[in-house]
Amino acid sequence: MTSAPANVPAVAPPSLPVGRRSPSLWVAAVRIFDLSLARMLWSRGTIFMALLVGLPVVLAVLVRAVQAIGGPAMRVDGQMVTGPTIFGFMVWWLYLRFIVPVLALYYGTALVADEVEDKTITYLFTRPIPRGAVLLGKFLAYFVCTVMVVLPSLMIVYFLMGLSGATLAGTFPSLLKDLGLIVLGLLAYGGLFAWVGAQFKRPLVIGLMFVFGFEQAALIIPGSLRYLTVSFYLQSIVPHAVMGEGVMSLLQSLVEQKASLGTALGMLVAIGVAFVYLAMRVIARREYVLEQ
Amino acid sequence: MSTPIVTTEHLSKWYGQVSGLNDVSVNVPPGITGLLGPNGAGKSTFLKLITGQLKPSKGKVTVLGEPIWDNPDAYFKIGFCPEQDAFYERMTGLAWVTALVRLNGYDEAEAVAAAEKAIAAVDLLEAKDKKIGAYSKGMRQRIKMAQALVHDPGLLILDEPLTGMDPLMRRRTIKLIKDWAKQGKSIIVSSHILHEVESMTSNILLINNGRILAEGNVHQIRDLIDTHPHTVFVRADQPRAFARHCLAFDDVLSLRFEAGAVVVQTGKPDAFYARVTSLAATDEVGPIHEVTSPDDNLQAVFQYLVK
Repeated sequence: MTSAPANVPAVAPPSLPVGRRSPSLWVAAVRIFDLSLARMLWSRGTIFMALLVGLPVVLAVLVRAVQAIGGPAMRVDGQMVTGPTIFGFMVWWLYLRFIVPVLALYYGTALVADEVEDKTITYLFTRPIPRGAVLLGKFLAYFVCTVMVVLPSLMIVYFLMGLSGATLAGTFPSLLKDLGLIVLGLLAYGGLFAWVGAQFKRPLVIGLMFVFGFEQAALIIPGSLRYLTVSFYLQSIVPHAVMGEGVMSLLQSLVEQKASLGTALGMLVAIGVAFVYLAMRVIARREYVLEQ
Repeated sequence: MSTPIVTTEHLSKWYGQVSGLNDVSVNVPPGITGLLGPNGAGKSTFLKLITGQLKPSKGKVTVLGEPIWDNPDAYFKIGFCPEQDAFYERMTGLAWVTALVRLNGYDEAEAVAAAEKAIAAVDLLEAKDKKIGAYSKGMRQRIKMAQALVHDPGLLILDEPLTGMDPLMRRRTIKLIKDWAKQGKSIIVSSHILHEVESMTSNILLINNGRILAEGNVHQIRDLIDTHPHTVFVRADQPRAFARHCLAFDDVLSLRFEAGAVVVQTGKPDAFYARVTSLAATDEVGPIHEVTSPDDNLQAVFQYLVK
């Protein structure tokens, strides 16, 4: 039986301070962020996230181990591939084309869906804050949470692979660019998938089709379709030569186009901000019917 | 007549082709109002509409004189305790209630003070620093009530608040609800158990199949239910000892055992509930964890009502 002292008197609920006002959108979002960050870091997706960001670290350790025991050097077209080249390859193909969009897809589409599935959304939607603040706060939590785990992973890989044969001072600007690109990628993809998650019923399927179907195809099809992808703007400013394989790489090199640095930066930020705003508008108008 | 706290005009809600609430026009007066109906009757839909979680398909809702849908400021005056047993399990009770009341514009110090008062109001102060995941079902119900009243709203809306509570806590919670009403708060409380509602108020809204069947005094319904056997499910550590006690009572019509529980049919539910509460207090039959009444009691009454 639940125990409680039998003679505890009922305490009057607290009095409402005079002049209480709704927190602003930003303040409310920051408070939702406070509430959500730890929950996001220690959620069902934690293991998934750890596996994703751990994968390049494991690969880098393996490559270093092979080099350390005098294993055969990697060669492309007879040229020896150095650590920094492999690092550049990993930044583009592993981080920017796989880990960043997959993490953004996993967390971005679940920002509000998780609360709905856990039936805790009621507590947030019956408080005097704009509903959009719930999404904005949770997006901030996603952003900080993913940046906090992906950037350290990239830095470890950099120290294992990217630094070999070069000085930290010499390659540091390039590392900063890589870190900035990851942040921009998480912002743009995260915003996009936050909207997909708020707007559509099967956001994961739509997101997977976008990243691994539409974006892949759009980058190799001549014309302006590529401007509708996130990866085009990321590719435009990636500091490493984008090394690819086979037919895909050949096609890509034939139709290679780049946006200017300013355009690419502006577009990545704009995509993130615009889609978060759209997602907030969707959340403000949408009803959530929790299963009984 | 005093100004209604909730007014609905031809309020309807459809979930696709399914009707959740059908053309409900009602004025809920201040004080305690019981929303009574079996599961699936439309109670939760009604409560979600008057708490602005759902948008009416048709009709109008005003709460404390204001529209509620897309009106976040109205939540200063409303506290809602939902039915679902859903929480941020890794947070402590205090941290959770504090975080929620901060969304009402409280700064950290104010929020902690308000949360502690609200947690004290539901007799949970000793467990405030435990993680919610480690709370018993009754404690979870109480922390849910604490988050509803933490900002001192004028209107409390409680969806099945007594579910999962032991008899003593149930009695104390009923007293607490009545005390809040005495302090001037209005309370809408839903239940599928007539005797629960009756112990809080005589003012009820009777709902079934998405329609309000009756509103007003509970006594007529009560007379009807008393003519039919009433089933009570009692989960206890010593179900056989409890059953032995029950056999001595004239009103107990039948008994059967389920895992860790006794299911009793009684002809005098009021007397039976009172005895269970007394037994729980004396500890003669060991701890009694849960006393619930399956829906079929009320369902039977509704079948009679709609005939």
